[in-house]
Amino acid sequence: MAHTAEIDSTDAWGGAKSPFKISYGKMFMWFFLVSDALTFGGLLVSYGFIRHKYAEVWPKAEHVFTHFPFIEGHLPLAYVGLMTFILIMSSVTMVLAVEAGHRMNKRGVIIWMFWTIIGGLAFVGSQAWEWYHFIVGTHEGGPTGIGGAWRNVWDPATGAYVKQIFHGANMVTNEYGVPQFANYFFFITGFHGTHVFSGVVINFIIFLNVLKGTYEKRGHYEMVEKVGLYWHFVDLVWVFVFTFFYLL
Amino acid sequence: MSDFHDNYPEYEKMSNHDEAYGKKARRTLWNVFWVMLFITIFELIIGSMAPDRGWSGTLWLKVLFIGLTIAKAAAIVIWFMHLGHEVKFFKYIILVPYTVFIVYTIFIVLEEGTYSGGEGRYAKVDQIFIEQQEALKNAHHADHDASGEAHGEHH
Repeated sequence: MAHTAEIDSTDAWGGAKSPFKISYGKMFMWFFLVSDALTFGGLLVSYGFIRHKYAEVWPKAEHVFTHFPFIEGHLPLAYVGLMTFILIMSSVTMVLAVEAGHRMNKRGVIIWMFWTIIGGLAFVGSQAWEWYHFIVGTHEGGPTGIGGAWRNVWDPATGAYVKQIFHGANMVTNEYGVPQFANYFFFITGFHGTHVFSGVVINFIIFLNVLKGTYEKRGHYEMVEKVGLYWHFVDLVWVFVFTFFYLL
Repeated sequence: MSDFHDNYPEYEKMSNHDEAYGKKARRTLWNVFWVMLFITIFELIIGSMAPDRGWSGTLWLKVLFIGLTIAKAAAIVIWFMHLGHEVKFFKYIILVPYTVFIVYTIFIVLEEGTYSGGEGRYAKVDQIFIEQQEALKNAHHADHDASGEAHGEHH
C-alpha cells in the first residue's frame, strides 16, 4: 500500500530506521537524478542564452526536421512527434512493470519490461536516423553563417567567384543557419541519447535478473522501481529537450 | 538490510500492494498517459502551425509551451516516479534544489541577459561580423540584379 503516512518527528531521527521511509538505494537514485537534472538544466540554460543572442538568425526547427521515413514530402516535426510518443509510451510500460512488481507478478514485470526495452531501442534508432538526415542535409544545400548570407569563394575552374553551398550540418558549418544550432543539437540530444542507451542496457540487465527469478526470491521488485526512476527521468529530460529544441 | 540491523524496517517491501489497489493505480497511470499524449499532440499542431501564422517567437506561445512542458514534467514526477507517494520531507529534499535553480535562472537571465542582445539586438563583438556578412549579401544581390553572375568581391 502507499505509505503516505507522515513520520513521528519525536523519534524519527533516533536511528534504526529511515526518517524518509525510503530505502537507501531508492533515495540515492533520486539524489543522482537531482544532480543529473542540474547538468541538463545547465546545458539548456546555455542553449537559451546563445539562442537569444542569435534570435534573428536561429534556424527554425520546423524548417530543419521535415523528414519522415518512407514518406516523401514536407512533414515538419512529424518524426520528432513520433519519437516523443515512443518515449512516453515506453515510460508507461516501465511504470506498469513497476506496478506489476509491487504485486509480485513476475509475468507482468517480464512483459512490460520487454516492451520498455523495445521502446528504448526504437527511440535510439530514431535518433540515429534523425542525426543522419541532419548531417547529410538537403539536396539543395544552403549558406552557412549569419543572416542566411551566401559566402563567395574563388573557383579556379571558371575563374570567377561563386556561391559557396553547404550540405547538412557539422560542428563548423550548418546549411540551415548558424553553426551553434548544430553544436547544441549534437551535444544535448547526444547527451540525452547516451542516457537512453545506458538506460536500455541497465533495463536489459535487470530484465535478465527478473527472468532468473532473483527478485522473486528477494521478496520485492525494488530494483525494477529504481531502474524505472532512471527511465522516467530520461523521459522527463526529453520533454524539456523537445520543447526547447523543437517547439520554441 | 535486516542482516545488519535488528528490527530494521524493510522499506523495499512497503510499496507492495494487492490486486485491488493495483487496479486503481493502473487506471490512474493510463489516464496520465492519455493526458500527456493529448498535450504532446496539441503542442505539435500548434508548433507546426506557428511559422505560417506568425506565431513564432511570440511571448504567449513561449509561455504556453513552457507551461505545458512543466505540466507534463509534473505528471511524470508525481505519478510515474511516485514522488507524490513519498513522505513530505523527502519531496522537499528533491524539489527545493530545483526551485532554487529555477529562481536563480530567472535572476541570471534578467540580470545578465543584456550581455546577449537586449536593445541593440547583437553584442558589439558580433557587429563587425554582421557588417561583413551584410556586405557580402548586398554584393550577392547586386550581382544577382545585374546579370546573375558573381564577380570579384573579397571578404
